[in-house]
Amino acid sequence: MKFDVIIIGGGHAGSRVACGLQDSGLKCAVITSGRSIHGSTLAQFEKKGGMVLADDEITNTCIQDSKLVSVKTEKLGDVVLEAANFVIATGKFFSKGLVSDMKKVWEPIFGLDVEYSEDRTTWYTDNFADHQPFLDFGVKVDETSKPSIEGKTVNNLYAVGELLAGVSCAEKDDLAAVDATADKVIDIIKAQ
Amino acid sequence: MNNHQDFDVIVIGGGITGAGTARDCSMRGLKVLLIERHDIANGATGRNHGLLHSGARYAVKDAESAEECIKENQILRKIAAHCVDDTQGLFITLPEDAETGYGLDYQKDFVEACLKSGINAKVIDPKEAIRMEPSVNPTLIGAVQVPDGSVDPFRLCSANIVDAQLHGAKVLTYTEVTEFIKNGDTIEGVKVRNTVTGEEAEYRASVTVNAAGIWGHDIAQMAGVNIGMYPAKGALLVFAHRVNNVVINRCRKSADGDILVPGDSVTVIGTTSTKVPFEECDHMTVTPQEVELLLREGCALCPSLATTRILRAYAGVRPLVAADDDPTGRSISRGIVCLDHETRDGVKGFISITGGKLMTYRLMAEIATDAVCKKLNSSAQCQTATTPLPGSESTGVKEVSKKLWGSATQGQKAAAGRLGAKAAEVEFNSPEDKQLICECENVTLAEIKYAVKHLNVNTMEDLRRRTRVGMGTCQGTFCIRKAAKALAIAKGEPETADKLAADFLSERWKGMKAVGWGDTLREMEFMQKVYKAGKPDTYKD
Amino acid sequence: MQEINISEHNFEQCQKCGICNDVCPMLAANPAYPGPKQAGPDGERYRLKDKEFYDYALKYCLNCKRCEVACPSGVKVPDIIQSAREKYNTHKSVKLRDMMLASTDLMGTMVRPVAPIANTVLGWGITKSVLDGVMAIDHRRTFPKYSGEGFEKWFKKKAAASQASFKHQISYFHGCYVNYNYPQLGKDFVTVMNALGYGVNLLDGEKCCGVAMVSAGMFDKARKNAENNIKVISEAKGDKVLTTSTSCTLMMRDEYKEVLGMDNSSVRDSIVLALKFIYELVDQKKVKLVFKKDYKARAAYHVPCHMEKLGWSIFTRELLGMIPGLELILLDSNCCGISGTFGFKKENYEISQKIGKPLFDQIEAVNPDFVACECETCKWQIEMSTKSKVKNPISILAEALDLEATAEANK
Repeated sequence: MKFDVIIIGGGHAGSRVACGLQDSGLKCAVITSGRSIHGSTLAQFEKKGGMVLADDEITNTCIQDSKLVSVKTEKLGDVVLEAANFVIATGKFFSKGLVSDMKKVWEPIFGLDVEYSEDRTTWYTDNFADHQPFLDFGVKVDETSKPSIEGKTVNNLYAVGELLAGVSCAEKDDLAAVDATADKVIDIIKAQ
Repeated sequence: MNNHQDFDVIVIGGGITGAGTARDCSMRGLKVLLIERHDIANGATGRNHGLLHSGARYAVKDAESAEECIKENQILRKIAAHCVDDTQGLFITLPEDAETGYGLDYQKDFVEACLKSGINAKVIDPKEAIRMEPSVNPTLIGAVQVPDGSVDPFRLCSANIVDAQLHGAKVLTYTEVTEFIKNGDTIEGVKVRNTVTGEEAEYRASVTVNAAGIWGHDIAQMAGVNIGMYPAKGALLVFAHRVNNVVINRCRKSADGDILVPGDSVTVIGTTSTKVPFEECDHMTVTPQEVELLLREGCALCPSLATTRILRAYAGVRPLVAADDDPTGRSISRGIVCLDHETRDGVKGFISITGGKLMTYRLMAEIATDAVCKKLNSSAQCQTATTPLPGSESTGVKEVSKKLWGSATQGQKAAAGRLGAKAAEVEFNSPEDKQLICECENVTLAEIKYAVKHLNVNTMEDLRRRTRVGMGTCQGTFCIRKAAKALAIAKGEPETADKLAADFLSERWKGMKAVGWGDTLREMEFMQKVYKAGKPDTYKD
Repeated sequence: MQEINISEHNFEQCQKCGICNDVCPMLAANPAYPGPKQAGPDGERYRLKDKEFYDYALKYCLNCKRCEVACPSGVKVPDIIQSAREKYNTHKSVKLRDMMLASTDLMGTMVRPVAPIANTVLGWGITKSVLDGVMAIDHRRTFPKYSGEGFEKWFKKKAAASQASFKHQISYFHGCYVNYNYPQLGKDFVTVMNALGYGVNLLDGEKCCGVAMVSAGMFDKARKNAENNIKVISEAKGDKVLTTSTSCTLMMRDEYKEVLGMDNSSVRDSIVLALKFIYELVDQKKVKLVFKKDYKARAAYHVPCHMEKLGWSIFTRELLGMIPGLELILLDSNCCGISGTFGFKKENYEISQKIGKPLFDQIEAVNPDFVACECETCKWQIEMSTKSKVKNPISILAEALDLEATAEANK
């Protein structure tokens, strides 16, 4: 199945990118696993003709020559989902964009390079009211919003939203910072 | 200064020992004042396994403790039926135990020692053990069944306080002793300060009992005597649901992380034992090393713990009395220490009751009260071994809720499980009263109102200890605004709701961050978002 | 040392966010239902402690799976609830009415040989009120018609002989509905597959998938059927067993394992909705679809709850999107309220219609030529509650395809 853009993650940022790009005439699909606590515009996106793969998970990714060619999902099985561009907007820990165990933090779909501290005792402070360092953890991107895998950039993969290091809307009811990362990628892809 | 009130006895410490002593004294007709600087069950009382020991654990090394345990075990089943869950216990032998000298030969000695102490220990087939408790490590080579159970220390402590009050005792929480009133070598009373309002007062009594647990060390010093206590920290982990329904112990010399107890809706693994400085006793934290150790040992008892979410970690300090130079405190007797400071130190009117454990609190209270009565020349006899605690008269979710409500809601059933017969006093007058405030632990608005009215509740932490509010999977993330509002209104101080909620979450946060990875870290992010950014009213797209 | 949390039905991953309650159609319509959060993971913690915490209101769960689809933590809420109904429910006896509604194959066998009479009788007001009074099946309910000649019988008589002549072979799990109530769908399926060059084979004795039995609490009977179906599917001709029912598909793929605890791993991936299979053939250019030049229709697409759970509505949308004369309007995501046999029970009628109302209203407003929908019970409900007819996308394909040209193109 071929799309212009596949967006992985259908929360606030992912659905914003999806709506923006679908509006500009690109054929988009959103792969999402569960609803976002921040709400989303996925229903509008579907109304615009967008395809939503709800409650699904990426099971396979195919990267060739620094390009993400296709992904497969748990529910679609062998169906290959291809796109010219991919956007990852899977959020932080709650939405499982980042996964942690006792020692480390990682991005589970692609193994994107993640910024975090290796000393778990520094992930949080004693005081609930403080700014919590773990909320700054996230995927590192270059100036064109591209993340990397073991230092190597994937040319048609963009990361947006709370998944990014330093971007979090945990402490204020303000999604402006998240919106900015989404809008930047909408512009980059539209300009292609 | 005001409040010149006179009592027969002042009990310092609202842990289980103090609560039990206050109850025993008041039942023997004495005029009792109990003083607690925080809330009841705030120290070691609320920071242990909640294990209703059969005594088997002590049988080989410490027959006296073992005998005390099994006797008290049988008494608590009768007088505190609503706080006790008769889970039974297993002592398992694993293949690797044979290599360290704790194989099936040790099991034989263990069973013999148990029987000698009057503990009904029964060797059962490993297959039978797996049938009895499917989560047990299936590689076990031996199993012994003993009459262990679990006991809810918060409810037990609260029931003792309630009964003391019913017998005329006065209870002051959030009140700290600032000074002893001395007349020569006699202690005649205490000066106190309310830790919330700062208000000061003086109380006089013929006898003062120091039942302050590890803080009894400081209290004694304030009175001019030295007890030489040994603060032994014990760390524990709480798993998010009831993984096992039978207590699982390791059949070997007592070591770290070898007891797994199903307590109410969760499972608890513990403990460790390390000496800590006195100044740390007020701020216990659990280290990553302790977490790893407990988890490793826990998985040996019950492999599925490796994939079970850990809700939080906590630690308590055992009030042991030092005997030798044991760095772990493991070899110090868990025995009861009752000191009459008149004969020991020449300080009159002052008794310390310490050592011991949750299991033997009633016996400790009896011993302390006997000492008090001796000083007061009272011949009143102890009745606590046979008189049920309030709530214990009828128990069981089914029995109580059927009797009270016929067809009960989840919240009513939960109240019946927590309060026993006392659930009759929870007033479900309106549909709002039946509404669940804490959904994880099925706590209704009515139960919160009841706790505020009858159970000395000031803070959300106090409310948690009485009702389990915020003790579930979300640790208060979902419900705490509602609960704090309900508490603030019930207290008649609606403007304090935000502060009550914030204080509670700060407390929860400390326990969560010790195990802050995986799903617990997800919950921590959610908690931050709900409180700092405000959860959207609706999730609708 | 700690692995990612795994617990039965992922119940422990619940973060208590409450999104499940927000999407539950039953909670919104029925105050007696505690909602998926309480009925599922919250309740399970307390049931593990004391079975007295089992709540009989769990019977209201529609098993529509909307909570599971919405859950950001992967908790299989409906599976927790269905399993609890087996584990903790002490009132095990199943009402005759529930047993009859659940035994879709038995009912079919009993009624079908005299179908014209049965339909007439079932259509009579007097019989309906008997059903209402004695059986507690609501009299306002339009009963699904029982067809005169079953699909299997038709297939054996009219189609079986010619199937071997096709170059590819595939098996078909038709389910009770196609066999007893609506053989036309099975016939349409055979027509489409034949045109694509696929011969259709029936399984060697399929039984009801068991979905209605689970909802009636007849877990052991469901297990027996599952055992049979796993066996006959594993022996099926061709590498896939195609289906036309979303609920049967979901049951056999997921619930055999999650709710009934059966090992279906050897057959799970071979059970596929025909629409997905056909889409994949087209996508991989293995077959070609040639549509009629003059086909014209305006259809509203209702995605059944279980199709949302399967996650395959994308295939229906893509496939139907290929039909040049078809305008497809995607309806809002809503439950129709019938949930298999739930809406047939007298005590549930009002709730059932209340849940479905937003969907019915939208259909009336859109006023399409027909509604496209893969689910048979949604079809009954929508046809009873609106003036629209409902067509399975397979039947739409059968209508829209130029069958001869398609057959020619796939020779």
